[in-house]
Amino acid sequence: MANRVRTYPGTRKPTPHQGHGKRNCVKILERLSAYLDDELSGDICREIRAHLGDCPNCEVFLDSLRHTVQLCQHRPSPSLSAKDRAALRRQILKGAVSA
Amino acid sequence: MAPQKKTRTAHPDAPTSSTFLSGPFDQLYRDHVDVMYRFAYRLCGEVEAAKDLVQETFLNAYRAYDRFRGDAQVSTWLYAIASHACLRMRRKRKGEPDRELSLEEFVPTSEGEFALQIPIEGLSPQEALENKELRQILDRAIAKLPRKYRMVLVLRDMEGLSAKEVGSIVGLNERAVKSRLHRARLFVRKELSAKGLAGELNRNVHTRLE
Repeated sequence: MANRVRTYPGTRKPTPHQGHGKRNCVKILERLSAYLDDELSGDICREIRAHLGDCPNCEVFLDSLRHTVQLCQHRPSPSLSAKDRAALRRQILKGAVSA
Repeated sequence: MAPQKKTRTAHPDAPTSSTFLSGPFDQLYRDHVDVMYRFAYRLCGEVEAAKDLVQETFLNAYRAYDRFRGDAQVSTWLYAIASHACLRMRRKRKGEPDRELSLEEFVPTSEGEFALQIPIEGLSPQEALENKELRQILDRAIAKLPRKYRMVLVLRDMEGLSAKEVGSIVGLNERAVKSRLHRARLFVRKELSAKGLAGELNRNVHTRLE
């Protein structure tokens, strides 16, 4: 089990920006949620993919954002017990009557 | 489905009030209490505060029922009431205004900040979240979000609502919702990639399936 659990992204080590100005990377960063949510036009998507192909740091960043969103989406939330649900109902109905 | 508004009068003490309470309103409570509790828990991060928020939400729903026009889903209406109640309750407790998040603060400044320093390679999100440490780190990151950003992240990424629905709940246009959501995601990502978390998690990695 332990060998499955390693620091993400594992074997791929980010390298410094190669031929990319930081300004380009910031421009990409601004659009990554829209990119993940599939809200961008084909032209902009192609532009982003071209940048990602050349810029390992931005690709790693995108992966880390994707994982972050997935963790949020799948974070389970505790449910109310039947006892708590009934108690809460009594309080709400009582509060509504005396309102 | 929209509630049957005809049974409610403007006067809670009128005879039809109890009919409404034991009928349509009780049904509204039963149909939506679990969703509202889940939402409240995600916003508050703890059980008692979540219960308080659920209670406040349904009491406010009861009081506002006459004004519910039925042009929104009941659940969207309740989400909006809960969101406003949450902001009001928190404002009472802590007076400080929400800070704004700027994109600049999320631009990585060193190599180590590009990746998540959490051990999830090869795991599905569900498998990764079996790790109690990871759940706590994620929860702390979400709890640290300024509340207006947390509200949008919870509604969009955790409750699964569309940007348009979120906009109608928090009173923003879609563009503003997306901008706020992006900053909220970047904030949580940065928290998850913060140095020191990896060590903490790696030390506890064998407790993943405890």
